Amino acid sequence: MLGYGAVLVLVALGGTIAVVFVGLSRYLGPRNANAAKLTTYECGVEPVKTARERFPVRFYLVAMLFIVFDIEAVFLYPWALLFRELGLFGLIEMAVFLMVLVVGLIYAWRKGALEWE
Amino acid sequence: MITLQHYLVLSAIVFSLGVAGVLLRRNALVILMSVELMLNAANLALLGFARQLGDTTGQSLALFVMTVAAAEAAVGLALVLALFRGRGTVNVDEVRSLRG
Amino acid sequence: MGEAILFWFFGGLTCVLALLVIVMRNPVHSAMALIGNLFCIAALFAMLDAHFLAAIQVLVYAGAILVLFLFVIMLLNLKDHELGNARQTATKIAGAILLCWVAFKLIFRVMPSTTAGFPAVGDDYGTVETVGRFLFGPHLLPFEVASILLLAAILGSVAIAKKKLW
Repeated sequence: MLGYGAVLVLVALGGTIAVVFVGLSRYLGPRNANAAKLTTYECGVEPVKTARERFPVRFYLVAMLFIVFDIEAVFLYPWALLFRELGLFGLIEMAVFLMVLVVGLIYAWRKGALEWE
Repeated sequence: MITLQHYLVLSAIVFSLGVAGVLLRRNALVILMSVELMLNAANLALLGFARQLGDTTGQSLALFVMTVAAAEAAVGLALVLALFRGRGTVNVDEVRSLRG
Repeated sequence: MGEAILFWFFGGLTCVLALLVIVMRNPVHSAMALIGNLFCIAALFAMLDAHFLAAIQVLVYAGAILVLFLFVIMLLNLKDHELGNARQTATKIAGAILLCWVAFKLIFRVMPSTTAGFPAVGDDYGTVETVGRFLFGPHLLPFEVASILLLAAILGSVAIAKKKLW
């Protein structure tokens, strides 16, 4: 329970600064909008089309693989801390775990889920 | 003083909000989010029990619940994509071709 | 005293944000409320001395699962008319009654639980090492089965989603 005081202070401070900065610029800054000012900022180039178009499904596949291997990393972390304590048995445990996931990775690879054509 | 009872009541409230979301919402994405709410409520109860008993087993179980949640989100969202591709909608009440 | 304030703050916020998840019409707003909800639950995990789980909650849920949700929301990019008509008021009231009934039943069940307060635990409770000892000791089989589950998730979602969306 204790020891999180610094985290709380950080979150409160970060939130306050964000709210104050956005709020100040909103209420102190002059606002006289016109059509040219309200267009999307594209480094001075005229926007070609709307930014809200459908994304390709490849993004989903990348995010999905990220989730699965994120969970794998979560399991690797305590294993790495306990590596010496667990010894050879722990190594075999983790090897079996990783082998199963590598099968999935090979499948995704062979299916072309990692390609970005 | 905050006791186990407080955490269990909070967990019950979040769980019933999740149940209501699954039963009442038609958007498949929000239904999946409500399932995440229910899994989180279960995790909260598990960790509360673990804290009360001073036993780490509940925390280990909560880790597995998170694994299940990740797998469920991956496959569930793939199904939503397939549903949208095939039917052009993510509203579950418009998918009724199996109804007689 | 400080613990009580923090519990009521994060607990109240958890309930409000969970309610927002299920009432928001736009799925992006639901996802944003869900992120806040998951952060509050992570704070409650930390208050329950589940330090490792609190960190994992932020890492896995806010860092990965919600990203996947937002990706799919952007992928589908639903227009307003594709979200379907809003519910009738009568349906909403019926839903609220159902929600209260489920919540009441559950709360009624957990009310007899102990109010004795949490016992003291050692400094190593809920740390990565302690959880890891359970994970690679008594929970070895679930740990290995989790890899099969993740494999099934990879196979399933690649097989279902690989075809071109448009």
